[in-house]
Amino acid sequence: MAGASIVVIALIFVFVFYKAAPVIGASGVGLALSGGFDTQVSKAFYAPAGSPTPAFGMLGLIAGTALSCGISTLCASVMGIGAAVTVCEFCGRRGAAFFIAVVRLLAAIPSVVFGLIGLIVVVPLVERLFITVDMQIEYLDYFQMTGRNLLSSVVVLSFMIAPTVVSLSADAIAAVPDSLRETGYAFGMGHFRVIWKIVLPSARPGVIAGVLLGAGRGTGEAIAVSMVCGGIGVIPSAGFGLMNLLAPTLPLSAAIINKSEAMGSGHVAGALFSCAALLLVLGALFSLTARVVSRGFGPGGSGGGIKA
Amino acid sequence: MKGRDHRLDSALGIAYSWISMLLMAAVCLFILVTVARYGAGKLSLEFLITEPGASAVDIEGGGILTPLIGTVLLTMLGMLAALPFSLATAVYICFYARPGALLTLVETAVDILAGVPTVVIALFSLSIFVLPQFGFLSAMIETDGDGGGMAYGRSFLVCAVTMAIMILPFVTKSIIESLRSVPGSYIDGAFALGAGKWRVVAQIALRCARPGIVTGTVLGMGRIVGDTAIVWFALGGTLRMTGVQPWYMPENWISTLRNTGSTLTTYIYYTSPAGEGNSFDTAFGASLVLIGMIILLNAAAALVGRAWGGGNGQDAG
Repeated sequence: MAGASIVVIALIFVFVFYKAAPVIGASGVGLALSGGFDTQVSKAFYAPAGSPTPAFGMLGLIAGTALSCGISTLCASVMGIGAAVTVCEFCGRRGAAFFIAVVRLLAAIPSVVFGLIGLIVVVPLVERLFITVDMQIEYLDYFQMTGRNLLSSVVVLSFMIAPTVVSLSADAIAAVPDSLRETGYAFGMGHFRVIWKIVLPSARPGVIAGVLLGAGRGTGEAIAVSMVCGGIGVIPSAGFGLMNLLAPTLPLSAAIINKSEAMGSGHVAGALFSCAALLLVLGALFSLTARVVSRGFGPGGSGGGIKA
Repeated sequence: MKGRDHRLDSALGIAYSWISMLLMAAVCLFILVTVARYGAGKLSLEFLITEPGASAVDIEGGGILTPLIGTVLLTMLGMLAALPFSLATAVYICFYARPGALLTLVETAVDILAGVPTVVIALFSLSIFVLPQFGFLSAMIETDGDGGGMAYGRSFLVCAVTMAIMILPFVTKSIIESLRSVPGSYIDGAFALGAGKWRVVAQIALRCARPGIVTGTVLGMGRIVGDTAIVWFALGGTLRMTGVQPWYMPENWISTLRNTGSTLTTYIYYTSPAGEGNSFDTAFGASLVLIGMIILLNAAAALVGRAWGGGNGQDAG
């Protein structure tokens, strides 16, 4: 029975790649290098039965995943490491217990509720604060500018990723031996300087593992992002500058949810399975790297695991 | 001394740490308050015990009986399916495996499985459970022509198995952790008294690790309760139970399990402005119930951990 995980993970790889194979074969390298996923999906959906597998291009989706997940992992790391330091160093036992409970609760809030809050609160706020009618008109040729965009996705995702970063970092920080801290104090360093120069570097493997697992969660997160991302895989362009943040986006995972209604067409299903195949590889990479990182370096590694 | 004011550095650093933590706490509080504020008006006994409206048009009038039952049913079934495998894997890794290729393979498989996004697991279930061999889990679809047929691939049973796959690595890892925290002296002592290996595992290790096992189980249940993507694909996301009616009669239970339904999460998705229902306060009402369930589960986990001696009370989130 202990072999169940091996069998299951092997089956997942086989089935997902088997289903994705026709689309990957038909699109070749263009799958990762060209755009236009949205129109291709609707074309494939209305294509007559028995037509050959069309080519798909997921560049917009890949960019969406990279941007939304990258930026929000960055925000979540900054916020999460700070929070972990507070929990471990600045508030007493009671305070730490309270904040850990808060972080656990935040981690336990279902993604659909994050999406709902994002849709009701974040999206209108982003629209009111950043988007003007003039801007909407100016960018009308490229995309429709609404509150459902990359920025909203980043805001929602950051708070979904942060708890993972906090809990793994806090474990690692708590595991740093007190003798190291006392050495720092003996040299006359201030409290925060000890944290910054001694505690955090010693806890680095655990912190990095937390960030990687958080990034993994961010890439895989589907429901909440699909609710606030705008649903169009716009390829970011350097010419738009910061306006890219206000463009609608469609990460790979959200695309699977968003286009699931068109899965009746075998070609669309194939395209969604190729998204899944890419996500599968990314997810495996993130968790394996996190494991190697947290086991590889000396003390402070938290055993290489996600804790609930 | 460099020309920098360390006291200022320190103050800034402390401010940054506190702001980060307080921001997260504030967002958490804000989510709870928002859900409570919009959802409380909808909450009533009637909301809990009436079935949802049959379609998007009359969704406002209905309650959340079937999604609520769906969530509870799925959580129990999924956990029942996952627990034996998780226990076996954890016991194998901790007590029976010799260091070597096989152990590494099992551990790596658990790690990779933990990193697979739920939406990918959901699509996977859609690809495997439509095979006619799995027809007993859902309904068979008659296809005209070659008579091979396909399974429908969406039902409570299918969804429960898929959920079990999703939580398998998490439950396994938390059981491993609690097994490792059992003092070695207990185990050596039992061996010294002449107990066989299986006896030591079953009567000493598993018993000492019980609080940790229960905590892991409850947290795994929390993951099932909160998941949407798998339910969306593997349960079909129909508002009501679609088996033989009335679904709650014992003679129809098998039919209900082999057919589609919904849980609170898909119900929220459906009724939110992102879905078809577009009934804002119904979505928040259901969210309030959902978050209530999750808080209860977490509290139960904490309570069990404390009541039984707090075996692994130190692990954070």
